[in-house]
Amino acid sequence: MDFVQNFPAVSILLCLFAGIISSGLRKKAARSVNIILILIVTFLSVCTLFYTMGTGEAFVYVMGRFPAPWGNEIRAGVLGPLMALFFCVIMLLSLEGGRKKLVDEVEEEKTFLYYVLMDLLLASLLALIYTNDLFTAYVFVEINTIAACGLIMIRQNGRTIEAAARYMIMSLLGSGLLLMGICMLYDLTGHLLMSNIREQVIYLYSAGEYRIPLLVTIALMSVGLAIKSALFPFHAWLPDAYGYSTVSSAAVLSSLVSKGYILLLIKIIYRVIGFDVFYNSRIIDVLFAFGLMGMIFGSVSAIRENDVRRMIAFSSVAQIGYIYMGIGMGTQAGMTASVFHILSHAATKSLLFIAAIGLTDVSGGSRKLVELTGAAYRNKWAGAAFTVGSLSMVGVPLFSGFISKLLFSQAAVQNGTKMLPALIVLGISTILNAIYFMKTVIRIYTPVESGKYKGIQFMKMKRYCLTLVCFVALNVILGVFSQPIVDLIEQGLVMFS
Amino acid sequence: MYYIILSILFPVLSGICLLVRKEMKNRRNLLWTTGILLTITGVLVMLSLYTWQGGMLALFNLTPRLPILFKIDEVSVIFAVMAVIIFLCAGFFSFVYMKHEDKEKRYYGFYLIVFGVLLALCFAGNLITFYLFFEMLTLVSMPLVLHSGTREAIMAGLKYLFYSLSGAYLALFGLYFIERYGNTLTFSPGGVISSQTAAGYGAMLLGIAFAMLIGFGVKAGMFPMHAWLLAAHPVAPAPASAVLSAVIAKAGVLAVVRVVYYIFGASFLRGTWVQKTWMALTLITILMGSVLAYREPVLKKRLAYSTVSQVSYILFGLSVMNTDALTGGFLHVLCHGFIKAGLFLCAGAIIYKTGKTRVEEFRGVGKEMPILMWCYTVLSLGLIGIPPMCGFVSKWYLAKGALASALPGFWWIGPVILLVSALLTAGYLLPVTIRGFFPGADYEYNALEKKEPSWLMMVPVLILTVLSVAIGLVPNELIDYLWQMIEKVL
Amino acid sequence: MGANLFANYGEAVAMILFGIGFGNLLLQSNLIKKIIGLNIMDTAIYLFLAEKGYIAGRAAPIVVDGVQSMEAYINPIPSGLVLTGIVVSVSVSALMLSITIRLYRRYHTLDLDEISLRLKKEGL
Repeated sequence: MDFVQNFPAVSILLCLFAGIISSGLRKKAARSVNIILILIVTFLSVCTLFYTMGTGEAFVYVMGRFPAPWGNEIRAGVLGPLMALFFCVIMLLSLEGGRKKLVDEVEEEKTFLYYVLMDLLLASLLALIYTNDLFTAYVFVEINTIAACGLIMIRQNGRTIEAAARYMIMSLLGSGLLLMGICMLYDLTGHLLMSNIREQVIYLYSAGEYRIPLLVTIALMSVGLAIKSALFPFHAWLPDAYGYSTVSSAAVLSSLVSKGYILLLIKIIYRVIGFDVFYNSRIIDVLFAFGLMGMIFGSVSAIRENDVRRMIAFSSVAQIGYIYMGIGMGTQAGMTASVFHILSHAATKSLLFIAAIGLTDVSGGSRKLVELTGAAYRNKWAGAAFTVGSLSMVGVPLFSGFISKLLFSQAAVQNGTKMLPALIVLGISTILNAIYFMKTVIRIYTPVESGKYKGIQFMKMKRYCLTLVCFVALNVILGVFSQPIVDLIEQGLVMFS
Repeated sequence: MYYIILSILFPVLSGICLLVRKEMKNRRNLLWTTGILLTITGVLVMLSLYTWQGGMLALFNLTPRLPILFKIDEVSVIFAVMAVIIFLCAGFFSFVYMKHEDKEKRYYGFYLIVFGVLLALCFAGNLITFYLFFEMLTLVSMPLVLHSGTREAIMAGLKYLFYSLSGAYLALFGLYFIERYGNTLTFSPGGVISSQTAAGYGAMLLGIAFAMLIGFGVKAGMFPMHAWLLAAHPVAPAPASAVLSAVIAKAGVLAVVRVVYYIFGASFLRGTWVQKTWMALTLITILMGSVLAYREPVLKKRLAYSTVSQVSYILFGLSVMNTDALTGGFLHVLCHGFIKAGLFLCAGAIIYKTGKTRVEEFRGVGKEMPILMWCYTVLSLGLIGIPPMCGFVSKWYLAKGALASALPGFWWIGPVILLVSALLTAGYLLPVTIRGFFPGADYEYNALEKKEPSWLMMVPVLILTVLSVAIGLVPNELIDYLWQMIEKVL
Repeated sequence: MGANLFANYGEAVAMILFGIGFGNLLLQSNLIKKIIGLNIMDTAIYLFLAEKGYIAGRAAPIVVDGVQSMEAYINPIPSGLVLTGIVVSVSVSALMLSITIRLYRRYHTLDLDEISLRLKKEGL
């Protein structure tokens, strides 16, 4: 066994330990621990990524001393480390971008808790990415939920607590369904390790036994994870949770937490149920349909919103619809597009959240669109970054959003029956996106006569600007040099099963 | 070879620099800078046209089958030369005109960026590159529409954005299919549809072709997606309207040329329902544009309606798909470009000097500024198509081509509509001249003061006038050049 | 069908309980009732697991006097899962309860809909 194979397990454990240690530290120290942790995990992920790219196959790491059918395993292909690396980068940038806001909005003596929560969140995300055991996945789903809930309500006001309560309730419904699904699957197959379950599922399926229980299981798990990742009819908690929490939380929640669940769903599709079995169940069409509805509904709600943060949050509903649409197409190309969109949306949405906060800060803290008039002149960097994010969301070439739209459409063209609805809804949603994002961009660039609010200079917010530049660079890299990443995703999906 | 990159990047980057820079205290400095930048760009374009040796210039790949690449062919030359001339003329004109508008720096910055993007559009070598810059063109030209910042301008800008993005999406929709059913996305004369993979999908591909035509036709103001043009062109400052009407609307024409003759190929579309529907749409647009222009009292709006009608002359020529009609179409590209730019500049000069916008207020304008009014008259005659002006030559070839085509019904309806529309053109352009020069008996000649605009405004108008006359007088060289190109694509 | 249902009455009861819990968590507007629903739902799942792991006539897998044959014990894994699950559900319930206390202190009501209504009025 190569030394590198320890890295995924080590990175999960490191995160857990860092969380425990940080809970006894002061604010500054907790922050340093958090940053160092993220950097280390980034490094470990890069190593793992190169290792798996070198060997060209996934490796299995046995946790504890029990071999396959009984013990607990970690399994890493190309996709896992890639996601881990990406999540780390986004988390680091989001934290850095919202740091100043965090100081303003969170009580001094509770700030260290924020970093504890972040450590735990990273641990659970990594575990979701790497684990090969279904029940472990469930446990970390719950840890993820608890950490995310903490992130929402660390800024104490009525809105955030209510949002946290709603978020918890929806999440608990989702995880209840997921757990029920897992239990039934265990009952059907007698295994908890993903690879073993799949063998049994395929055997059961080909033998034609237990058709209905299998279908119910797939439905329970898909719906559970769909609720948790805020697919269209289950998105009621999302705008408040993203709209009122402190900005780093909003960025992390929208770009990482919901994506973690989607990644788990993709993993279940490939490694637990098996792509063909999943494809032959009708659940996939349901996901497709709800994805399409989400794309339209999210954008329409965003158009009607006049609070900039909530507008961006509603746009997340639409973007999650895109991802489910890709999954619902039931082709390899659709899945690749979805995974790419996870990356691209994560990079763009966190950029938008961070840039929006820069704009609201120079508008007297008001988040109403009306007050933002001319904000881009007062904070030039945030204005430019917001514009880039918007263009990417609309799908203008050279930015990441265009590539994911391209991939989705290519996938749609290859799919006979779902081609037309997918393309039409993609078109409508593109135009709706353009309406509300461009409306905002025009507003922030509309000059105002009276100097009601003061502008801010570059020197006063160097780190913030630097974060924005990194985000923009990430977006452009995804938009221009997408090919190696798409190749990696394709390779990773093959290794997934 | 690399002059292409330079001629695209230079104006874009200098425009961005201009936008980012602090407000200059001295207006003269700003004008000098912009003037020099514009001239350098013009020189760079000429150099790149002159030094081009064929082949392609691939920059990088978006995805393995989608490279960003540039090349120059005859179509690029025509459009690029026209763009350079009009951009320089309108640019120098705006040095005076923009004196009475604020936010000049922003205007020049975006003006330069639009220039660069438009050149990139001319030089784009495949559909994906073209699409990329087509989208960019919409976004960067929007600030020109929005310039005045009034509510009307913002609504017009949003309308422009909405129509253009919907159109671009329809076009993008086609791109996916062509990627699947074509040999390549690179523009090649005669089309790229591969006979093997596309076999059995003919009907679907025709639908796609139609969607792309409508989608790219948005920029050219083709019915039924023309409403944005009527809102957006008049609200922009006059030199910007000149550029929007004369060059940016032509980007739509360029797109249609590329799609029809370089992607699908004329033989694929000839005689199909797509050709007939398209032709019908252009004819409707021609007539509708002229009628609307005839009824419009505000000069700038009238010119915008006229653009809708005139650009569809070009599209009509393209839709007939034979040598004569194509010759007419391409001649009209240049002809309408120079004339419409000139007319908008005239309208701008009148607004700048007198503040009058409505046609009935123009009494005696010709007495106040005779040279300008003479230019206006000559340009109008050109657009109407009085020999020996250029409009005559282009319309002659258009009608000749239409008559020679074997399409039932269209071969005579087309020329008839061209004729009716020419009469209407005379009806909406000449009243300005008549009112300007013949104010009537009760006009007080004592109160008359000379208001002839300064040479910086006059010279661009004169250049455009001379060019439009020159094309009409000596069109043979140009026509030979066009025939070479048309031979390749048909 | 009916016979199957009767034979597996434990699972059937678990499913009914799961439904009741799920419905309560989703539909009740009182926060405490929601939490009770959550607990019913979780317990139903544990009942299901325990029922599945039990094999009639066998003993709990605790080795008392030397190793006996595997046939003597029930499946130990579901018991392990139930234990883990209980830990998770306890922590989640605790978190929910703490949120409820926070909300009650601020708004003096347990009705989530009413709290939302008030927040809208505050216009925060």
